[in-house]
Amino acid sequence: MLTNVARPLAPPEELTALRRLRQRLLSNTVRQALRQSRLRILAVVVLTALFWLGLFALFVEAFQFLETSIPDDHTHLETVRKIFEIFFLSLTVMLVFSSGVILYGGLYRSRETTFLLTTPARPELIFHHKFQEALLFSSWGFVLLGSPMLVAYGLASVAPWHYYATVLPFLIAFIYIPAAWGATICMLLVRWLPRRRRHLVLAASALALLLVGWLIWQLARGPQSALMTPDWFDEMLVRLRFSETRLLPSWWLSTGLLEAANDHLVESLSFLILTIANAMFFHQVALGCARALYLPGYHSLVTRPTGRRKQSVPWIDRLLERLTWPLSREMRLLIIKDARLFRRDPVQWSQFLIFFGLLGMYFLNIRRLSYDLNHATWVNMVSFLNLAVVGLILSTFTSRFIFPLISLEGRRFWILGRLPVRRDTILWGKFLFAALGSIVPCTLLIIASDTMLGVVPAILAVHLLTCFMLCVGLSGLAVGMGAKMPNLQEESPSRIAAGFGGTLNLVLSTIYIAAIVTLTAVPCHFYLVTQQTDPYGAWFNPARLRWMMAGGITTSVLLGILTAVWPMWIGLKAFRRMEF
Amino acid sequence: MIEFVDVRRQYGTKTAVAGLNLTVASGELFAFLGPNGAGKTTTIKMLVGLLRPTSGTIRVCGFDVAAESRDARRLLSYVPDEPYLYDKLSGREFLRFIVEMYGLDPRVGAERIEREIAAFELADFVDDLTESYSHGMKQRLVFASAMLHDPAVLVIDEPMVGLDPRSARILKDLLRAKSRAGTTIFLSTHTLGLAEEIADRIGILDHGQLMFLGTVTELEQELQLHETNLERLFLELTSSPATNGSPPAPESKPRTTA
Repeated sequence: MLTNVARPLAPPEELTALRRLRQRLLSNTVRQALRQSRLRILAVVVLTALFWLGLFALFVEAFQFLETSIPDDHTHLETVRKIFEIFFLSLTVMLVFSSGVILYGGLYRSRETTFLLTTPARPELIFHHKFQEALLFSSWGFVLLGSPMLVAYGLASVAPWHYYATVLPFLIAFIYIPAAWGATICMLLVRWLPRRRRHLVLAASALALLLVGWLIWQLARGPQSALMTPDWFDEMLVRLRFSETRLLPSWWLSTGLLEAANDHLVESLSFLILTIANAMFFHQVALGCARALYLPGYHSLVTRPTGRRKQSVPWIDRLLERLTWPLSREMRLLIIKDARLFRRDPVQWSQFLIFFGLLGMYFLNIRRLSYDLNHATWVNMVSFLNLAVVGLILSTFTSRFIFPLISLEGRRFWILGRLPVRRDTILWGKFLFAALGSIVPCTLLIIASDTMLGVVPAILAVHLLTCFMLCVGLSGLAVGMGAKMPNLQEESPSRIAAGFGGTLNLVLSTIYIAAIVTLTAVPCHFYLVTQQTDPYGAWFNPARLRWMMAGGITTSVLLGILTAVWPMWIGLKAFRRMEF
Repeated sequence: MIEFVDVRRQYGTKTAVAGLNLTVASGELFAFLGPNGAGKTTTIKMLVGLLRPTSGTIRVCGFDVAAESRDARRLLSYVPDEPYLYDKLSGREFLRFIVEMYGLDPRVGAERIEREIAAFELADFVDDLTESYSHGMKQRLVFASAMLHDPAVLVIDEPMVGLDPRSARILKDLLRAKSRAGTTIFLSTHTLGLAEEIADRIGILDHGQLMFLGTVTELEQELQLHETNLERLFLELTSSPATNGSPPAPESKPRTTA
């Protein structure tokens, strides 16, 4: 019954109000985007579709390859099962972390929840509202990655219609489980260990890294059969047995989908019901935790004592100041300020550590991966692919963390704006911060990769030069584009990076990496091929190929300079005129 | 209507509010003054349920804010110094959301929305997305939303920030009118003139303790007695050696003329 005075709402009414709020926010955002930036929407849709189709084509190829490589039906099915199990198990771990981290921000650090907590809304329903949001943010990538694989498998295995019909319910039910685990862990940590929460998250991340390292070692250790042969697949299946644990939702999902693909409808539905029941159960557990723990946790977090920082300059800043001695005083101060902000934001450096740590582990284990290290062309191909991977990982960081720097400066621009510093200095400071910050880890990774592969010094030198050009080019592109296409209204760096400018920066970065690596890798590859055999006739003679190598390297250096300087020039022009 | 009983709030070893005892009666307009870091915002956040007291009890219309949080929040409205609005909602959509959250009848809600749009002169921009609003426009919208369910208690942190003189006048008149109509108003401010002009009673807080508590009339008597003005009294109370750098003894009593 509704009245003319405020009255307590029943839970379903509260949920309806919050759902309507979300729908209204979404429809206003979409309507505004359609009105103001149709091109941007079109670009996002086209790029997403291309990405999906690219992945789909890749998976179709991969499943066809498995079909032809493994003639035995049982081994083939077991291999696909392992692929599914490992894929969904990895996603389980990632979803636990990502939903926990997103919910921490949403529940304890967002201004929206502070506002909602002053209304009569129940804390557990505020949790539910933010949980739905976290679920969406943390799982869209999962659907984008998982759906092309599952559709491709359906086509490759000529699955019946009910396989396709159950894919979406399976995926939705599945993502609820790790998301609810992440949410529950997040609330328990905040409630009972508010002062130790960061240490625990770091310890858990380190443990996850160690587990991944152990997994890589398990897969790569010891003598192995020839790569991609039926015996090799058998050996791998034995080593991946740990993913068969029947208590894992990833196992239910994999088995349910494979049963559906094999036309076992009843078995498939029983796994679907099992997954849905567990999703509902863990969601209820998370809701119960929210009822008991959310508000007390919120209170203990906001009232925890904050330690005083030491007044002295940390050693790392003093070191950075010394290392940047050739630069002007203003530039050094700006670089130290950005480095300090980076250091104090665990989201930035933890992702940096995880991705570069994983790459480092892979490179250090590369000898165990059965590559044919006696074959120079194979080594050359792998080493250049490693270089491209370093570039691609770096491009995600420059898009996620460097591109938004100018947009974020917009709201605080009065601080820099009133200083006696030229705007150009600010932008060049950000460029140097990005370039210097990326050159050291990327160079170390390339040296590790090439040392393990036993790459000859001349090619190592080419790789280091290419790596340098990648760091400089990607930094220039991200800083320049960030200044040319800022989003001064947005406070969240992830949303700035996910916008049109950030997406365009990522696409251009990928094209740049492909171009610069191809320019140096292809001549090197043919040069090494002709060193071993000479089947290509006069056109591929070593002298000509040496010239081609020199030409490729020179072109890539010129391309690198152009990619750094041109966006910076455009960015500087825009930044000088920018009004805050 | 509002009752603080021995309320204490610690942040580790730091005491933000030290044994606050205060009662604000129904229909009273109470102004809370104090220098930066005196504990005003902590007191307000405890009052609206965003913080829990380390010890002591806060009651709103008889409901314990910690134990019966939802009942207390239903009767309250809170206007923070930096209000939150959904960027992608229009002002009217935001007001509709508040009407729904407080369980008002849609017809009554629609009438109240029109009433507040007129009271705060929002008509020119209420259908635009709030991301395009200036600080003052946002502040007016938040005040309008706070009045929608005719709260019994209105808690305001720094009400005049960002308001132009006309909006400030409208707000002052409205607060007085609401107070006369029976709404209890608890506001914190740095603007001494505002407290002097509209408050029934003034409390001066420093280092978490009430240093002065009295009605405006009592304050005027105090001022004549000491041949001073509110600014001088405020500075005198909040910069005395006893309170300069260290909190006063918990048992110290506020200076009152009552």
